[in-house]
Amino acid sequence: MIHNPLLNKEFRQRMRTNRAPIVITAYLLSMAALTFFLLYENVQGQFALLLPARSEQVFLVVSLLQMIVVTFLTPAFAAGSISGERERRTLAVLLTTPLSPVEILIGKIISSSALLALLVVVTLPLYSLVFLFGGAVPQEALAVFGFQLYTILAIAALSVAWSTLALRSGWSTVLSYSTVTFMTLVSGILGYGLQFAAGRFPVDAFLVQWGSDVLQLNPLWVEARLENAVQGTAHSWVIFIVFYTVLAAVLLTFGVWRLRPQVLSFMPGVSRSDEKNYQ
Amino acid sequence: MIVTQNLSKKYAKQLVVNRLNLNVRQGTVFGIIGENGAGKTTALSMLVTLTTPTSGKAYVNGFEVSTDPVGVRRSIGYMPDSFGVFDDIRCEEYLLFYADCYRVPRDIARQRCNEYLDWVGLAAKREAYVNTLSRGMQQRLEVARCLMHDPPVLILDEPASGLDPRSRIELRSVLQRLKEMGKTILMTSHILHELVEVADELAIMRAGEMMAVSSVNVLKNHSTAYRTIRIVGTGSDDLWKSALTEDKHVLNYHIGPEFVEVFYGGTVDQQARLLEEMVQRGISVHQFFEYETDVEELFLRLTGEVMTE
Repeated sequence: MIHNPLLNKEFRQRMRTNRAPIVITAYLLSMAALTFFLLYENVQGQFALLLPARSEQVFLVVSLLQMIVVTFLTPAFAAGSISGERERRTLAVLLTTPLSPVEILIGKIISSSALLALLVVVTLPLYSLVFLFGGAVPQEALAVFGFQLYTILAIAALSVAWSTLALRSGWSTVLSYSTVTFMTLVSGILGYGLQFAAGRFPVDAFLVQWGSDVLQLNPLWVEARLENAVQGTAHSWVIFIVFYTVLAAVLLTFGVWRLRPQVLSFMPGVSRSDEKNYQ
Repeated sequence: MIVTQNLSKKYAKQLVVNRLNLNVRQGTVFGIIGENGAGKTTALSMLVTLTTPTSGKAYVNGFEVSTDPVGVRRSIGYMPDSFGVFDDIRCEEYLLFYADCYRVPRDIARQRCNEYLDWVGLAAKREAYVNTLSRGMQQRLEVARCLMHDPPVLILDEPASGLDPRSRIELRSVLQRLKEMGKTILMTSHILHELVEVADELAIMRAGEMMAVSSVNVLKNHSTAYRTIRIVGTGSDDLWKSALTEDKHVLNYHIGPEFVEVFYGGTVDQQARLLEEMVQRGISVHQFFEYETDVEELFLRLTGEVMTE
């Protein structure tokens, strides 16, 4: 693993308090209770009657619920990462060390994703319960697991980028949650709205495609497709991953500029007198 | 060790630092004094590579700040004027983290950590969380942090700001020891007395410009040679003026309602003759005593700058 002092420090800081084990334990217990409840409800107390199709439904519900939890929890850990350093006045000193802005941003992204990734990992045994009754296959579970990890990383990267660009934690939190709201709610409503409109106004053939394009930006929809629970063409996750990776890369490039404004001073048209101090 | 050549910084249309020329020699302590908004912090932020100069050049330990910022960063220990500390991290971990940022080998970092914690009087606080320390302790921990990669240059922005008198004394002794270690130190303050205690050379900045530079030794010698005398007595203004203007050792004077203040550059014998002269002219002198010289005023006077405040 590439040596990143900031990452080591952040892990130490985040994991040493009681908060981390309490959050993980509470989350695992809640998810376990929910899974048992759903499985029990599906068979009305008769486990021998469990049908694979119903078991798959449980898998779908649990994994979608987990996706909602992690998408909305990730900004809470990442949105104040850089702006918080700025507000606590620790950023300037950090920037006078040989650490590069990229190392700082990577350290923040990985450290703020770590606890969420741990939440996803600890729920893996719950998925094995579903396998016990058939329905979902391990490949599906692994695909969902990998996709959730990517989504956490993407949201953390976007939140860290907003945290770098917005200067204030309040604004970066608003921007991060707006991003998550777009990903989960706005894209879903817009996508299904367009597809619904296509049914009402069949003249416009593009509406269906547009609706589908927008839905491919929705992590819940993409995850549901990974489980084959929603009909459609395969590989919708590719568009999702490409879109959010490019978006995060663009925002993080601006973030690097925010941390070290002088990196762009060599560009034509950018004067050094335009450079401000954002530390 | 630190050289600037016409270093300027402009934010939009405002010239914050204007053609700054500095030459800080190796192993010396150079103090910059200036009121808030004088451009001290901006000047330092260019030297520590947080911002780039709009024009001019600056070299730290031979590295140019714009073209070789990493070389500069490896050469300096920087303490900003208002700094913060991380939550949930112990003093020892705090120092080791910064050593790690400079890729200091772990065993050397541990050795330095022990040495510098002891050195700044925080050995007993090794396991304490940094955010639970008092401001003075945090300030000393910051000094230790600056030393973890053994930089030849320390740049300290208002190191004593916000400290109580006891912490100021402790910090002063730490700075003295740094000086003995041979570190080149550039520090700022808006209190001249603070700098006089530790600095070898002093400069005054105002409105982004360097107004004057003086050696502290010269300043100290002059502060014993030049004195402020307060005289309480009765006599007309004309009598006072004639007695004071005729004495060539009187550099300046101010006739106030309660006393006359004289800035005097002569010897003690000459001072006695001044008193005699005043009495002979008919001034009834009730009190004649030396008053503590205002170092700041003296500094400005010696460097040819007139106090405008």
